[in-house]
Amino acid sequence: MKTRAWIGPMLVALSLSLCSAAPAVAADECLKCHESLGGSIPALFRRDVHFAARISCSGCHGGDSSTDDMAKAMDTSAGFVGGSKGDAASMMCARCHSDAERMRSYGSKLPVQQWESLQASVHGKLSGSGGGNAVSCVTCHGAHGIVRVDNPSSPVSPLNVVKKCSSCHANAAYMRMFNPSLAVDQLEKYRTSVHGVRNAKGDVKAAQCVSCHGSHGILKAADAKSRVNPVNLPATCATCHSDASYMKEYGIPTDQYDKFSRSVHGVALLQKHDAGAPACNRCHGNHGAAPPGVASISNVCGTCHVLNAELFAGSPHKKAFDEQGLPECETCHGNHEIVTAGTWMLGVSDQSTCGNCHSADANASGFNVARMMRSLADSLLDMEAAAGKLVDEAEQKGMEITEAKFGLRDVRQARLQSRTVVHAFDESKFRAVVEKGITQAASVSHEASEAIDEFYFRRIGLGVSTFIITILAVCLWLLIRRIEARAK
Amino acid sequence: MTTKLRAWFDERIPLQDLKEFLAKKHVPLHRGSVWYYFGGVSLFLFIVQVITGILLLLYYKGSEQLAWESIQFIMSKVQFGWLVRSIHTWAANLFVLAVFIHMFSVFFERAYRRPRELTWLTGMVLLFLALGFGFSGYLLPWNELAFFATKVGTDIAGVLPVIGKPLMVFLRGGEEVTGATLSRFFGFHVAVFPGLFTVILSIHLILVQRQGMSEPLGHDTRPNRRVMPFFPNFLLRDLLLWLIVLNILAILAVLFPSELGKKADAFAPAPEGIRPEWYFLFMFQTLKYFPAQVLFMDGEVLGILLFGIAGLLWMLVPFWDRKSSRGEANRWVNYVGLFVVIYILVFTVLGWLP
Repeated sequence: MKTRAWIGPMLVALSLSLCSAAPAVAADECLKCHESLGGSIPALFRRDVHFAARISCSGCHGGDSSTDDMAKAMDTSAGFVGGSKGDAASMMCARCHSDAERMRSYGSKLPVQQWESLQASVHGKLSGSGGGNAVSCVTCHGAHGIVRVDNPSSPVSPLNVVKKCSSCHANAAYMRMFNPSLAVDQLEKYRTSVHGVRNAKGDVKAAQCVSCHGSHGILKAADAKSRVNPVNLPATCATCHSDASYMKEYGIPTDQYDKFSRSVHGVALLQKHDAGAPACNRCHGNHGAAPPGVASISNVCGTCHVLNAELFAGSPHKKAFDEQGLPECETCHGNHEIVTAGTWMLGVSDQSTCGNCHSADANASGFNVARMMRSLADSLLDMEAAAGKLVDEAEQKGMEITEAKFGLRDVRQARLQSRTVVHAFDESKFRAVVEKGITQAASVSHEASEAIDEFYFRRIGLGVSTFIITILAVCLWLLIRRIEARAK
Repeated sequence: MTTKLRAWFDERIPLQDLKEFLAKKHVPLHRGSVWYYFGGVSLFLFIVQVITGILLLLYYKGSEQLAWESIQFIMSKVQFGWLVRSIHTWAANLFVLAVFIHMFSVFFERAYRRPRELTWLTGMVLLFLALGFGFSGYLLPWNELAFFATKVGTDIAGVLPVIGKPLMVFLRGGEEVTGATLSRFFGFHVAVFPGLFTVILSIHLILVQRQGMSEPLGHDTRPNRRVMPFFPNFLLRDLLLWLIVLNILAILAVLFPSELGKKADAFAPAPEGIRPEWYFLFMFQTLKYFPAQVLFMDGEVLGILLFGIAGLLWMLVPFWDRKSSRGEANRWVNYVGLFVVIYILVFTVLGWLP
């Protein structure tokens, strides 16, 4: 731990001493000599973005590249450091890439926080051996053949980066060293996703690892600042999916984020910061992201709404929906803009969803059941409201009605249960639950009414007892006066 | 029939003696005679406390798990349980008020002077026991406010030098306010304090009967001075006042019934507005104004010590106010008494304000 604390500053100091000025590539004797020795490195370096910027070998390795005397060129006293690994290599890169002025002198517009971001990232914080970060610049960008990210030959170009990330992330034995519980099938899933399929076809616009996770400053998904944290994920997806011009060629809507923000899920997640509420990935998948098929919608929703899905699967609607190719939950509830379900959805009014398929002429049986269920639901709602009003009144009058309040919770519970059991589309089951709630509501109303009556009884009782006591007091006073008058 | 019954009793209990005693007993009449009634009012309220306390005891369960629930049961399910509890609570408050008024009237009338030193001392002990009743009873509903007020109250006791920590542990039945504290306070409230109170009250009343009513300094002491027969005149007036107090009690209990509050939870944050019962407020408020450190002493400790010394001096007034005992006027006693009354009133109001 202590070693890591001082190694950073030491490397920075060493790097700065090495790079008083990057030697010009024209006089790079190192390159000449190494080319004569053969091997792939010189050839790679010749197409390196740094070579193009006239940075010589000594720019990273130190020493003197202007002399052909090997002893002088590779003299450690002259600052030669040779090949760097791990953090040392990253520090070497940071020497220029964290220096805004120097980067400007090379005409670069690249950000200069990569090293800081990497250090703060999950990769920067993890270490396999305790000697350095799990990932260094070289791990992803390579060493001698570094090219711009938009160059198709770059290992971190949009089409290659998936392969680069999975070189570690698909390696179970390697990943076990850092996070044994982390899945290693991201690449496999990604290849099944719409993004992955397009990426494989050469679509550089299709999202890949970096699009969602970021690059240098990747954080754990559980980190509140992570781009893929559930609360931040919709905005991350929206960077592409809400950009109409970016998405134009794909021919899909770009209003999902707006709709989701207004939905019951979006409000819970984005406004109330309820991490249990679903973000985009809970329905579409994350690495394997794709729109759920018609047949699988109830399974997707059913991962959270388990009972609703089970009841629907056993309902007469299941067969009917399947036959007509209707997406199950979505047909009534919609998709991105799912609003809070309520009694308004039931019945045969214009707003109800039942009326979309059922009418008095066609599907009359379902029409009648829908009307009856709405009537029952309304009754429960009215009874609950009336009971609540009475409980409030009794409470305002200072009466002790804790039990009635508990009873009111049971009524609410029955109402919520009715909202679940409605998915069975079975009038008798629905009626059983609703009538239980109605009975409970009647009991609560009765209890609250008794408490209110008791309140008035107490007032009357006080009046009567005060009157009696006052009469007694007056009688006593008269008696005292009579006794005292007699004594005189 | 009545004569026969009286004769039957008279044969077994010599009632004639009692009748003669009552016939001879007179209450002096003077400008301060009205204050005599507050002793009787205190006694009446104590009796109300005992009766309603016994009724509550039929349903109350003095344990951490059941105390709050049992009070809730009393308030909602037991016939007139709410009324009994409200009367018990209000009677407790009026009892302390009546005892305070009684004490100050005795003080300003110098009724503590020789030969009534013991009556004064027993009265003071009864006042402390009344405060003890209030403090121990406050915790019994085991609600949030009572829990934290008891915590604060016992914390204050705990800062006393030497005896503070053992006293706090003794009061709490441990280091913290727990179910053990509740059991302990319940025991004090329904057994220890009533037992002590009854014994000392008996002594107090016997002393009053033996010594007769104290008369103000300089009051006419000739045998033919204005007096009122104790029986039936004074007793009936006493009863009249008791009826008026009962009426007030009923109105307060019905219009302002006792609340139950939330059940105490040791892990919940302390609610706002924690304060003791009104009769401890002046001390509580004073301690708030004390600086953290006064010279070499902790401010709170100094405050408690000063209250202790003041209480002791107050209690020993018959022994240091020699002038009154000699029948001479002592204006300084009036000044001290007036200062204490004003101090208590002002600091109670300050403590009451939000």
